[in-house]
Amino acid sequence: MVLVLAIGDLHIPHRAADLPPKFKSMLVPGKIQHIICTGNLCIKEVHDYLKSLCPDLHVTRGEYDEDSRYPENKTLTIGQFKLGICHGHQVIPWGDLDSLAMLQRQLDVDILITGHTHQFKAYKHEGGVVINPGSATGAYSSFTYDVNPSFVLMDIDGLRVVLYVYELIDGEVKVDKIDFKKTATTHATH
Amino acid sequence: MSKEIVNEEAPSSSVVVSTENRPFGSLRSVQWRINLGVLPPFLSSSSIDDLRRVTADTRRRYAGLRRRLLVDPHVPKDGGSNSPDLVMDNPLSQNPDSTWGRFFRNAELEKMVDQDLSRLYPEHGSYFQTPGCQGMLRRILLLWCLRHPDCGYRQGMHELLAPLLYVLHVDVERLSEVRKLYEDHFIDKFDGLSFEENDVTYNFDFKKFLDSMEDEIGSQGNSKKVTSLDELDPEIQTIVLLSDAYGAEGELGIVLSEKFMEHDAYCMFDALMSGAHGVVAMSDFFAPSPVAESHSGLPPVIEASAALYHLLSVVDSSLHSHLVELGVEPQYFALRWLRVLFGREFSLQDLLVVWDEIFTADNCKLDKDSENNESSTFKIFSSHRGSLISSMAVSMILYLRSSLLATENATSCLQRLLNFPEKINLKKIIAKAKSLQNLALDSNVSSLSSTFGGAYNHSKSAVVRAHSLSSDPDCPKTPLLVPDSYWEEKWRVLHKAEEVRQDSLGNPTPSGKKRWSDKVKLSLSRTESDPSPARAENRRKGHRASVRRNLLDDLSRQLGLEEDAEKGGCLEASNTEDIHSIDVQVEGKNGNNNESICTAERCESGSGTVVSEENSSIFSEPASPGSDTNDHENDTEKSSVASNSSMYENDDHQQSTEDSPLPVSLPPEDGSLNSPHGNESSGKIVSAMKERRHLSGRFQWFWKFGRSNVSEETSDKGGGSCEAAKSPNHDGKINTADPLIAGASRNSSSTNKGDAVDQNVMGTLKNLGQSMLEHIQVLESVFQQDRGQVGSLDFSKNILVGKGQVTAMTALKELRKISNLLSEM
Repeated sequence: MVLVLAIGDLHIPHRAADLPPKFKSMLVPGKIQHIICTGNLCIKEVHDYLKSLCPDLHVTRGEYDEDSRYPENKTLTIGQFKLGICHGHQVIPWGDLDSLAMLQRQLDVDILITGHTHQFKAYKHEGGVVINPGSATGAYSSFTYDVNPSFVLMDIDGLRVVLYVYELIDGEVKVDKIDFKKTATTHATH
Repeated sequence: MSKEIVNEEAPSSSVVVSTENRPFGSLRSVQWRINLGVLPPFLSSSSIDDLRRVTADTRRRYAGLRRRLLVDPHVPKDGGSNSPDLVMDNPLSQNPDSTWGRFFRNAELEKMVDQDLSRLYPEHGSYFQTPGCQGMLRRILLLWCLRHPDCGYRQGMHELLAPLLYVLHVDVERLSEVRKLYEDHFIDKFDGLSFEENDVTYNFDFKKFLDSMEDEIGSQGNSKKVTSLDELDPEIQTIVLLSDAYGAEGELGIVLSEKFMEHDAYCMFDALMSGAHGVVAMSDFFAPSPVAESHSGLPPVIEASAALYHLLSVVDSSLHSHLVELGVEPQYFALRWLRVLFGREFSLQDLLVVWDEIFTADNCKLDKDSENNESSTFKIFSSHRGSLISSMAVSMILYLRSSLLATENATSCLQRLLNFPEKINLKKIIAKAKSLQNLALDSNVSSLSSTFGGAYNHSKSAVVRAHSLSSDPDCPKTPLLVPDSYWEEKWRVLHKAEEVRQDSLGNPTPSGKKRWSDKVKLSLSRTESDPSPARAENRRKGHRASVRRNLLDDLSRQLGLEEDAEKGGCLEASNTEDIHSIDVQVEGKNGNNNESICTAERCESGSGTVVSEENSSIFSEPASPGSDTNDHENDTEKSSVASNSSMYENDDHQQSTEDSPLPVSLPPEDGSLNSPHGNESSGKIVSAMKERRHLSGRFQWFWKFGRSNVSEETSDKGGGSCEAAKSPNHDGKINTADPLIAGASRNSSSTNKGDAVDQNVMGTLKNLGQSMLEHIQVLESVFQQDRGQVGSLDFSKNILVGKGQVTAMTALKELRKISNLLSEM
């Protein structure tokens, strides 16, 4: 029953002022055990804010991040799952599933979390999951202005992970749920 | 779950509870369940089926509860509805109805419970600290708290629950032992026993088997017994029948079942907490606020602690008064004793014996129609169980009697009480408790408790009482428990007596011996005659502590009050008396009068709330008189509260130490703080007479005020004797007396104004002027001292005192003016 928040591409203060208030009201400290941030926060204040939600914060470097000490990739283990984080601007073509899968194999993780495209995506691929939480602030991306604010909450429970996707569409929070079970043979299951 | 626990150290004495009404003596869990009301009473052998049925029902209830309340958010609510409302039911949902919301709330509660559970019985950790046991305890507590949200979880509940689970565990182990033991020998018979044969042995005379129970208790592994079927059969038969999977309700009805330990423990715990329609409900002891039908308006645990003390005072008044003098309030130790039913005072095995006794006592409300005064009984005494609990506590206190009497220090007293010795003669304690139980049940005793509520305020006593705890051992006297109506009665008596005694005042000595009594008398005499110059004169004599002591002595003597720790209360009563009399004669003066009246009224009520830390806290406000300028009434109220306690202070102070004039003068100075203050607030500087009266009244009040002021500031200081003396007195009495006196004085002064025209009074005016000068000098010196003291205190206090000092200075100036006027006259 571990709750992990996957969030990224906030681009505060350059492209957005703050998280949408509806998102902010949902993110209260005490419920979430880990935060995974794909990058592009960009300033320290955002880092501090995320830290206040949960002390266990993992950030990778995005191209606009002002703190250059963040790593390019990061892996961690939560429960039975191995998670990998990368901002995604390094993986070309941006957002391409096969390239991301290459990265996933390279990092040897079950769940890969990347960003940069500012579009929410979740693929089940070769026994693993590739997640793109999108942009939590709805900041414009390198190729589009049409961005819905979104983030992902993972509920890791033993061999099962449930993804709750929170999207702000037309001012309303929409929640979606995706189940994923890990099997010993690492074959994708539905 | 090791067997070792079952055979742990034997109880410190071989106490065997009487088994007349304990058919399951050796099976504590069953016995306790019957006693607590979970299972129906075991009347005859045929009611084993009833037992089983009730057991099954209770277990079903618990299982249902568990299903309902324990939340697993992963499990879809309606068994797989396809589209749960994700907007509501996601983990981050703020919706309080969402399963996740409930899940998180439960998680918080569990965390709180876990904090306590992790520290539960570390000495028996091999059982209690196992994850299985901890899980069970956690679930039970969580479910109970969810079921009783008004109670919530309080520390100590886990300690009530643990022994219950333990006895269940013990019995289950016993069962498995018996099975193992007798299966070998009875294996054929066991299987071959048809139900008819069961019935034959079932009709065994249980009285006989009760006797054999005594033997059985000690004979767990005793194979000798195996051979004699007759002796063993009843008990074994009982065990077998209770655990027979084919009996009524099948497996669910097995009364001693490992599978359902959690269920049974929950039911026992619930019955214990709710009292099972009886009188003593443990959950009351955890309630911070008074229960609905409480007579005294106190939290039940405070009331019960007071009951303890009351019983102790009946049984052993010297020990009681000793404890009271030291300022050891019963709830300091009784809280723990009562809330956990002595769980922390005895070892586990001893505790089981104690609980055997307690649970055997019936919990039904007893009808006491002889003393039908509902408001006068302690709730805890109105059932056998309750009175046994209180007598058990008293017996424990008595057990420590010698060591308690030897200490002169409240802290060490509490230490002794809170660290009950390990090696104890439990048999003796229990026997004594039983003998006291009858006493407790005696209607006379319980009704004497009357109006105890007045003695306590459900204020946050502990904080302020801590002050009194650190009191100087030199001043042990702190009158503590004074029933409300007691003083009112006293007042009435005194009021009548006073009119009789008006002329029988003692010799007014210039030393001011009579000052106090004179002042009181004078104020009283207002009702009847003009003030005599002599009296007025005497009113304003020196500020000697000895004087004061004499005054008080005189007063109490003259008023025919007892010379004991309760003297203060008497004085207080007389003060109320004063105020009342003054009140009567108060004419329609300016605001002062009205205020005086109000004061008087409040004084009345103030005297009612004798001991209260509230008073202390209120009292601390007068410490900054400057800030209360507008709140004259407030002041008088506080001062009335203060004056009551200061009455005590006076009494104690004088009787305990040889005060130098200095400390005594402190109060007057501080008092004058308020008197000019009062003057200003009333908006007038009345005539000299009024001033005089004010001063005389204030004098008393200030004296106390000053004392308490100083004691507040210096309560933690080792300080001089005066401070030391003050601090014990600070313990709540402080406030009550002052306002009374102040009010009295104000009243009297206002009335005096009308009478002041008297020629005879002129002489006294001069004297008054002189005494006023003295006052001023004293005030000034006090302030010098104050400043010195203040320097060593907290800054905040400095501010308060500083304000007071400012007002005091202005007061001083006015005093000077007045005294000049007087001397001119």
